[in-house]
Amino acid sequence: MNKKRLLIVDDESGFTRLLKLTLEKTGNYTVREENDGTNAWLVARDFRPDLIFLDIVMPKIDGGDVAQQIRSDPMLANVPIVFLTAIVSQKETNNEIGGFPFLAKPVSLDAITKCLNEHFGT
Amino acid sequence: MKSPNPPVQTRVLVIDDSPGDIFLLREMVEEHGKSRFRVTAEARSLEKALKVLGERQIDVVLLDLQLPDSRGVETFSRAHAVAPDVPIIVLSESDDEELALQTVQLGAHEYLVKGRVDAHLLQRALRYAVERARAEAQLASERDLLQTLLENIPDRIYFKDRESRFIRINRALTKLFGLKSAEEAYGKTDADFYGPEHAGEALYDERRLMESGEPLLGKVEYENLADGRRSWSLTTKLPLRDRQGRIIGTCGISREISEMKEMEEQLETERNLLRAVIDNLPDLVFLKDIQGHYLLNNMAHIRWLGASDPSEVRGRTVFDYFPDDVAAEFHRGDMQVAEARQPLLNQEEHMVDAHGNHSWRLTSKIPWLDDSGKAVGLVCISRDVTEQKQAEERLKKANAELAANREELLRAVGNLQLAHGELRDVQLQLIEAEKMKSIGRLAAGVAHEVKNPLAILKMGLEFLATQKFTDEHTPEILREMGDALGRADKVIRGLLDFSAPKQLEVKRESLNAIIENALQLVRGEMKNGIEIERDLQPNLPLLKVDGDKISQVFVNLFTNALHAMEDGGLLAVRTYSKQLTGVGSNISDSRSESFRVGQQIVVAEIDDTGHGIPEDKLAKIFEPFFTTKPTGRGTGLGLSVVRTIIDLHGATIDIRNLHEAGVRVTLMFQS
Repeated sequence: MNKKRLLIVDDESGFTRLLKLTLEKTGNYTVREENDGTNAWLVARDFRPDLIFLDIVMPKIDGGDVAQQIRSDPMLANVPIVFLTAIVSQKETNNEIGGFPFLAKPVSLDAITKCLNEHFGT
Repeated sequence: MKSPNPPVQTRVLVIDDSPGDIFLLREMVEEHGKSRFRVTAEARSLEKALKVLGERQIDVVLLDLQLPDSRGVETFSRAHAVAPDVPIIVLSESDDEELALQTVQLGAHEYLVKGRVDAHLLQRALRYAVERARAEAQLASERDLLQTLLENIPDRIYFKDRESRFIRINRALTKLFGLKSAEEAYGKTDADFYGPEHAGEALYDERRLMESGEPLLGKVEYENLADGRRSWSLTTKLPLRDRQGRIIGTCGISREISEMKEMEEQLETERNLLRAVIDNLPDLVFLKDIQGHYLLNNMAHIRWLGASDPSEVRGRTVFDYFPDDVAAEFHRGDMQVAEARQPLLNQEEHMVDAHGNHSWRLTSKIPWLDDSGKAVGLVCISRDVTEQKQAEERLKKANAELAANREELLRAVGNLQLAHGELRDVQLQLIEAEKMKSIGRLAAGVAHEVKNPLAILKMGLEFLATQKFTDEHTPEILREMGDALGRADKVIRGLLDFSAPKQLEVKRESLNAIIENALQLVRGEMKNGIEIERDLQPNLPLLKVDGDKISQVFVNLFTNALHAMEDGGLLAVRTYSKQLTGVGSNISDSRSESFRVGQQIVVAEIDDTGHGIPEDKLAKIFEPFFTTKPTGRGTGLGLSVVRTIIDLHGATIDIRNLHEAGVRVTLMFQS
């Protein structure tokens, strides 16, 4: 079975590193981390992820803008994006921000696994 | 005075020293009892005769002048002196003309010569003597009476000749003139004793009287005497006529009436003063008898009746001045007071006078009682108080207006207070909103900065959890670390909830459904021994609320209740709708101003049987970061969030300890 490719965009390198380690350890995913939001689009073009975890509040660029860039790229238009953010709590937002699903930090591995299973139909 | 009736038989005393003469005289006088004369006594000496005259009733005396103890004229004089009223017929032996004349002049009735008398002559002499004596006695008696009257009467009596000179005055007048004897006045006139005014007037009166022959009766005169004394008198003057009826002067009688006159004047003055008093009073004053006839009315009342003169009103009744129905009303009122014999004081009444003028009057009616206490009439005094009444009315009106103005002012003040309260609330809300904005920004920043490290920690912990450990304690330590991380995350989330932007998404929601949902959400907190009791009124009106926010309210409240019942207990939830009957007692929230009496509201009550809230903490429970829970169990933001959401909905929340145990939370929503 092919490993799913996951791109994690977050300025917190500690978080992206740990998430990458944890997810790759399951043996089901190939994970690429990107800590500079402005690089996200190009990295995505290059990496061709099956799903993108996207932080919202980043130093140089807002996660929402990154999502717009990716969505407007025909090559990436169908790649699911899940926001991972610290600024909202889950229940206030009906599990959606700007039409994208999201997970609130700190996020449990269970929640991430559940989310991935939903997207990949496993 | 009338003379006594003549005795049936005339008693005769015969005085003679000769028994033969006495016998002869008796024969002639009595005629053997055929005549009316009887010799009832005889005396042979003067001494004896005087004794008889002194002791016995004798009608006539036959006296012989020649007696053993007295002779001649002296005999007559002495006998006459003893009984001057008894007629004496002198009998003499001799026809002594001179002696006869002498005795007759001294008072003898007849002088007879013994040898020349027969029975007939003697009886006639006796008869004449007795008759004349009686006539004389009568005259004397009448003269004495007149004299007594004249001399003792206190009235002044005078007789004057045609020239108005006094010819006789009585003692009273003598005294008035200050004379020793009446004679001093004779020949003098009024001018000698009176001042010219009275003397002139009297002379004029007397001349007219003599001319006309008409008496002057009961004239009241003011007399001034020459010496300055003055007096009032009542005088009657008559013409004085001689036997032929010719007027030869005047006579008069005059009585001093100064005292009476003074008294009369005094009475008159008093009467005038009293009259002046009542006539000058503006009040109506009248006195009426028990039949309603006016006895006394003052001028004010006379004018009120439409009359002009006291005499015109006296004796009349109110029926003479007013239409029957009006008069009957007056009359009935007056007579009631009189009959009840109870005064009616200061009765205020509206009246219309005879001219149709309206007035308000203060009337007092006092029954007029006689000495025996029987009501004989009524005294009434009535005062016009129209002006006072009008002033009073104006005052009342002004007072009412003032009261109305005051009401209006109070209402305006009330409205102002209400507006002020609302403004204050809005201001507080604005301040609160501003504060919350800052807190929100701060909280969001803090949350972001804290949550990222937390995310790394959590991720790290979970990564580690997949590893195999050499130390047996490692998994437990990792779990502890995970719990701590969870708590930190909860605080951050609470802070975000509390400071989240206050925008409501209002829809029509069922409160019961929200509550059921919230109960589901707190299921995880429920320990064993917790019982849930629902008493939710079906068909509650739908509420316009933000369902998620209100759900959060209930979740927080239920969570608090469950935390208060660590050892189990009863969580009771009730909902019902009702009409608000009074604001205050059942709503302690300051925002209760947004509720109005009569409004339909929906109430939710949550009771627990937990440990309750210390009374001194009750006031602080809505403050952020205040908690009564043990460290690590509460964020201190739950009730702050509840309060914020409730306030945003214009609802109220009241939290109080229950008497038995636990806490009751009461929420009220406008429906």
